[in-house]
Amino acid sequence: MRFKIAIVLLLMILSTTISTANPGGKGDAVRSRDCAGSCHGSSSTNGSSGAELAIQFQSEVYAGLITEIETSVSFAEVSSNNMVGLTLLINSDGAKDLPANDGWEIITDPNGGTNNYVEIVDSFSLESMVSQTWTLRAPSNPGNYNLYLAIQHGSPNGGIAMTGISSMQSVTVSEVPENLPRLADDWQPVNSRLLGEETEITLETVNTDSVIVELQSGGEIINLEVVENKFTIPAAVNPGVVQWRVILDGEGPTQTSPWFRLSAVEPGWEVDETALYLQGFALLILFAGLVLVQKPSSSSEVENKYGNTAEVNSQFVAIQEESQTQTNTVRPLPAGGLPEGWTMEQWEYYGHEYQGGIQ
Amino acid sequence: MISAGTFHVIATELTVGTFALSGVAFLLCALNKGPSSKEAVAHWALLGGLIATPFAIISGVNAISGEGIDNPMLANKLLLSMTSAGLAIGLLLRKMWGSTVDLRHSSVGMISVALMLTTAGIGGEYSRGETLLLFIPKDTVMLFPMWASITIIALGLAIFAKSAVQHRS
Repeated sequence: MRFKIAIVLLLMILSTTISTANPGGKGDAVRSRDCAGSCHGSSSTNGSSGAELAIQFQSEVYAGLITEIETSVSFAEVSSNNMVGLTLLINSDGAKDLPANDGWEIITDPNGGTNNYVEIVDSFSLESMVSQTWTLRAPSNPGNYNLYLAIQHGSPNGGIAMTGISSMQSVTVSEVPENLPRLADDWQPVNSRLLGEETEITLETVNTDSVIVELQSGGEIINLEVVENKFTIPAAVNPGVVQWRVILDGEGPTQTSPWFRLSAVEPGWEVDETALYLQGFALLILFAGLVLVQKPSSSSEVENKYGNTAEVNSQFVAIQEESQTQTNTVRPLPAGGLPEGWTMEQWEYYGHEYQGGIQ
Repeated sequence: MISAGTFHVIATELTVGTFALSGVAFLLCALNKGPSSKEAVAHWALLGGLIATPFAIISGVNAISGEGIDNPMLANKLLLSMTSAGLAIGLLLRKMWGSTVDLRHSSVGMISVALMLTTAGIGGEYSRGETLLLFIPKDTVMLFPMWASITIIALGLAIFAKSAVQHRS
């Protein structure tokens, strides 16, 4: 029997497959390369992605200013859920590889967040190229910088996590010309808003005489009115993303900002957390009290299926009563007195048997 | 250091595991079957789960990616786990004060375990979007006004004190 069980267990162990991926993704986050992929298995179980990866920079990237890069993924053979994880990195070592380590700041990732790792669901295939746009703030020190695009995805047959990384993509970050019209270094765009709410944005500019704001919505570009560097983006009716950019004019060369993305989301659920915690504590106290207020049942009072204490007690009482009855009803002595050889005590206990025998 | 999310998984595994063990033992107590150690297992496992519960709640709140409790499922998780913890505390005190494990005691134990497992199930739906608890209205939160909660706390404390005196006498 033991041998059969061992054989069955051995067969079960041998029939297991190695699953290394996170099929549903892990969620957008700031991640290093070694954690951006299949954290459920060692890297030795990964496959090598055949996708071609590229990063496209703007022609001029100025130190400390906002710029836009375009990443593209071609020839990616992915799993049925068409999900791909993209990671923007500064080296391929798997350590100290976050863009922030070189001074890059992610203003807007392709999903509207501020992460270097994003999960994209799109029409990835061997025949298609999928592009994404990232808005970054360049490092504040001029110089040459490197960026990499890493990729993780499933395989058509499942089971294997595919990983890959682009070749090194270099970009020169130049010093900002003195008279360059630009957005202020510490200015940050708004990334998200609630449905039904207008969004007023205040621009902070440097060396700028005039600005033009363009709003792209549904393939159409319209100019928004700007008053004292403020403009308003109309409220969104449905969840989605609109893009806008600003064209800055001044003494220096005219500058066009990247497209800034503004996501409209449904209002989140809100609750008074103090009331919630208080109610949780109230429920804890109340239910503990309700359990305690139940009348305690002592162990000596409880019957169990093998207990016969009551039966023994009742028999004992019956015997006692019978004995008492017999004691109280002593038979009268026969006409000739006590039978020969009997004592009075014997008569009290066994007199009824003697009389029964005679009768 | 580990993240609050990882710590939450550890605390949740401990809580759910020990509560589940306690639930099985309480079931055996209710059926009056199984080994004689079932009562001890039921209560010690319940105590273990109860100790792990605050860690699971606190780490869960810290692991939320958004700002605070912004989902009705999270609110329901909190209320269910606190209710379950209340029942468990009551059971353990009742046992400590000498009551025997009868059918009613075992049933309350199983209810406590069921509430905690439901809490874990809602957590699974929150993080992975999948659940077996299809028919439970997880998006509806019954929130008392503040004064009602305070009244319930006062009532609970009064019941608590009264029962403590009864058990001691």
